[in-house]
Amino acid sequence: MRRYILNRLFQFIPLLIGMTFISFLIIQISPGDYFTQLKMNPEISPETIENMRKLFGLDRPVIIQYFYWLKNIFTFNLGESFSYHVPVSFLIKVRLKNTIALSIFSILLTWIISIPLGIYGAIKDKSFNERVLSFFAYIGISLPSFFIAMLVIFFISKTAILPLGGTTSIFYENASGFEKFIDYLKHLLVPGIILTLSGIGSLYRLMKNNFLEALNSPYIFTACAKGIPTYKIYFKHALRNAINPMITIFGYELSGILSGAGLVEIITGWPGMGRLVLEGVLSFDLYLVMASLLIGGILLIFGNLLADILLALVDPRVRLR
Amino acid sequence: MKKLLNVRNVVVGNEEIKILREISFEVNEKEIVSIVGESGCGKSMTLKTIIKLLPKNLEILSGEIYFDGIEIVKYDAMEKIRGKEIGMIFQEPSSYLNPLFTIGNQVEEAIKEKIEKKEKKERVIKILKEMGLSSNVYYQYPHQLSGGMQQRAMIAMSLINNPKLLLADEPTTALDLTTAFGIIDLLKNLVTKYNLSIIFVTHDISLAKYISDKILVMYAGIIVEKGPSNLVYTNPLHPYTQKLINCLPEKYKKGERIKTIEGQVPSLKDLPEGCPFSPRCEYKKKICENYIPGEIKIEERNVRCFKYGNFMES
Amino acid sequence: MKKTLQRLRKRNYISYISFWIIVFLYFLAILADFIAPYPFNKQFRDYPLCPPTKIHFFDHNKKFHLRPFVYEVKLVNPALNQYEIVKERICPVYFFVKGEKKKILGIFPSTRNLFGTKEGKIFLFGTDMHGRDIFSRILYGARISLSIGIIGVSISFFLGFLIGGISGYFGGKIDNILMRLVEIFMMFPAFYLMLALRAVFPLNLSSFQIYLLIVIILSLIGWAGLARIIRGMVLSIKEEEYVLAAKSLGLSSFRIIFKHIIPNTFSYSITAITLSIPGYILGESTLSLLGLGIQEPYPSWGNMLSVCIGNLRVLSNAPWMLIPGLFIFLTIICFNFLGDGLRDVFDPKNW
Repeated sequence: MRRYILNRLFQFIPLLIGMTFISFLIIQISPGDYFTQLKMNPEISPETIENMRKLFGLDRPVIIQYFYWLKNIFTFNLGESFSYHVPVSFLIKVRLKNTIALSIFSILLTWIISIPLGIYGAIKDKSFNERVLSFFAYIGISLPSFFIAMLVIFFISKTAILPLGGTTSIFYENASGFEKFIDYLKHLLVPGIILTLSGIGSLYRLMKNNFLEALNSPYIFTACAKGIPTYKIYFKHALRNAINPMITIFGYELSGILSGAGLVEIITGWPGMGRLVLEGVLSFDLYLVMASLLIGGILLIFGNLLADILLALVDPRVRLR
Repeated sequence: MKKLLNVRNVVVGNEEIKILREISFEVNEKEIVSIVGESGCGKSMTLKTIIKLLPKNLEILSGEIYFDGIEIVKYDAMEKIRGKEIGMIFQEPSSYLNPLFTIGNQVEEAIKEKIEKKEKKERVIKILKEMGLSSNVYYQYPHQLSGGMQQRAMIAMSLINNPKLLLADEPTTALDLTTAFGIIDLLKNLVTKYNLSIIFVTHDISLAKYISDKILVMYAGIIVEKGPSNLVYTNPLHPYTQKLINCLPEKYKKGERIKTIEGQVPSLKDLPEGCPFSPRCEYKKKICENYIPGEIKIEERNVRCFKYGNFMES
Repeated sequence: MKKTLQRLRKRNYISYISFWIIVFLYFLAILADFIAPYPFNKQFRDYPLCPPTKIHFFDHNKKFHLRPFVYEVKLVNPALNQYEIVKERICPVYFFVKGEKKKILGIFPSTRNLFGTKEGKIFLFGTDMHGRDIFSRILYGARISLSIGIIGVSISFFLGFLIGGISGYFGGKIDNILMRLVEIFMMFPAFYLMLALRAVFPLNLSSFQIYLLIVIILSLIGWAGLARIIRGMVLSIKEEEYVLAAKSLGLSSFRIIFKHIIPNTFSYSITAITLSIPGYILGESTLSLLGLGIQEPYPSWGNMLSVCIGNLRVLSNAPWMLIPGLFIFLTIICFNFLGDGLRDVFDPKNW
């Protein structure tokens, strides 16, 4: 088990290096760099810029520069934002918290809803209810998340039942800890629901297919021949086998959620990473954009690692290889 | 000898196809009965019918099955019989065992009596040992065992409740020869040790002769011949059985070419109107094409062929 | 092709219908100049945010008109964009009416439109804030949104075929290195990668440059997934007897890949292509939606929706502004249905 995890960890190292290298390359091929912006600032003398250039190692060959940059990244020094004039890491820290909160909220909600629905759909396969569910799942899969967001916002603008935009209300400063939490949660609800709506469809379909496949497996026939009760056949034998591939999918889902979250954040005004990146792109704030890309990628790598470890925990075939 | 299982005129299928057609046979206590035939002839389906675990699109259309005094076809508490009175083992134990649970867990779960966990575990380990496995297997997962060990674990699982009947669906086909003989001998010994009857499905008629007291030969959903193993093997009556035995490698003389039965097993979707074997049969007469022969008793055997009786002249 | 369609019709009617809807949408896009009643950039200053025009057969006196007609509308409250019907002004709808000069398909000069009114205006899907006809803009926008899917997927597929094919065929070290590369690309969250790649280029490009840029960005993101799929296919085909036979005949690797392996991935590729087109359409709409893609006044389904972001007043008063979103949805669901149907039809298990 320990060897397996270490093994996976080692496999992620080249991935991490590749990822940083590609991020670095994207910065390199882009016209101009950090200093083109500084040069336009008359308050900074050419000497200072030259000194900084040396400090960042920008006068060295590209490969050396990459290692400088890598070193900076591992000390969480991601450069300074052109437009905000604060370290990028500072900006990201605040926004990352919100994105992670949103992602966790919507992942939990999506799984809580779609796993039972998927099981139901598989057990009642080809029934009327299952057909209705699958039909809606299809619509859910095909609706772009931004369009779902607009529809939900349209609905909320008509009913005004939930707050829209930002993370807090005006009274937040004076509220107690619990009220603060509730207020934050309320603001989280709109983007959270949108992300959940756009994720349920595919997860339902995956779960349904997995469960169906498990139900048609020979070992289910064995369980029936043993004469054990139906609920045990479903929730012990089939469920455990259907959940396993879902754990691997979880790693990839994370990518989708993170990507989807970025867009939904922008549309609903949730101050997370997505908004930050968009602002970065619009103001040509390259270091900010690249740092976000990198953080997103690293988050994903760790999500996948987590999924791998979880899979090893629940699947003896992986664990006891 | 007491009758344990009595299958009477069972028809299985749906509106489109009939998988089993008027199946009748008996299994006595402590008896091994083999069902022999090519793949797709309905051997496995017969077993699934007895334990009433047919695929969703098939059902028992008519007939009766008496098991130990109970009529099964109309019985609706099969959970009480499955695992408790009738056990079942399969061709590929690796896929018929749940990969995510230990052998101990899976065998233990089959125990019907309400006894304490510790006692259950003792019982499982005891039966695993009787099947020739080490007690260590209790903690192991299916993928850690060899095919033969998996099959032994499977047998342990099906016998944990001391059932009266074991349905064995080609249990040795996926194993290599030496392992297979280990399993066969184990099964033979179980009959006396556990007061067990076995229905043994195989495509290998010499294996059937070796293991069983009675042989049923099936073709396209019909039992074409049934009788004591020795008689069926040494003096087959039905043309199909005759050809089946003639094709066996041990019947060849040196230098002789391999024999096969000409033609193909008909698809169940377009069966001939009469005897299903008639297209491949060298004794075929007009009547064979139009009518399905009924059972005729000859010596201790029942055979479904117009060759016997006085039909051929017409 | 014809055979496949027949099988599709028999096995999976929804995907058969989807196929024809897709064909119809492309047809609309190609003939946009002719079908659209107005040019995409024509602003009717007197009709901002005008609701969709209703087509009538009965007038307010319950009198039946054989020729459908529309009422003329008048802006009564500019602050709230409220319109009122002018009951006396009945404007019949004609086919092949005279409109602005243009070239259909860029070749045939014409002044006729498929339909329109001689007096009054016909806005089937309403107008936007500048008084531009949304129906016409959707037709012109379809050209961009629908073509980017096809072009993007072609480039990605070319890259995917090249890299996946090489990786699967040669295996070993090459396979290892290429697949790590693929993994890296797949690890980046697509949305962030898309924005980052966009960030590298200046914001103010010509519309043609932006179109090319979007295609390139989307292909760069999409190739990795396709390469992986194709590698898997090649790996399984490589083991088949006919490839072994070709090898034993001493054919060159190049010949084996292009003559024996690639043709056999055809049916599977068609399915994969169909199922990945929605991703490209979504990518284009997302970029345009955020103002990073197709720029005004050129319409794309994405940038037509961008007014709806953070503009609650427009969204709640003029829900017809969301119609381009419906078209995106329709296109995507049709491609999904078609892809699923094709997978069904091509699956040897179902023959």
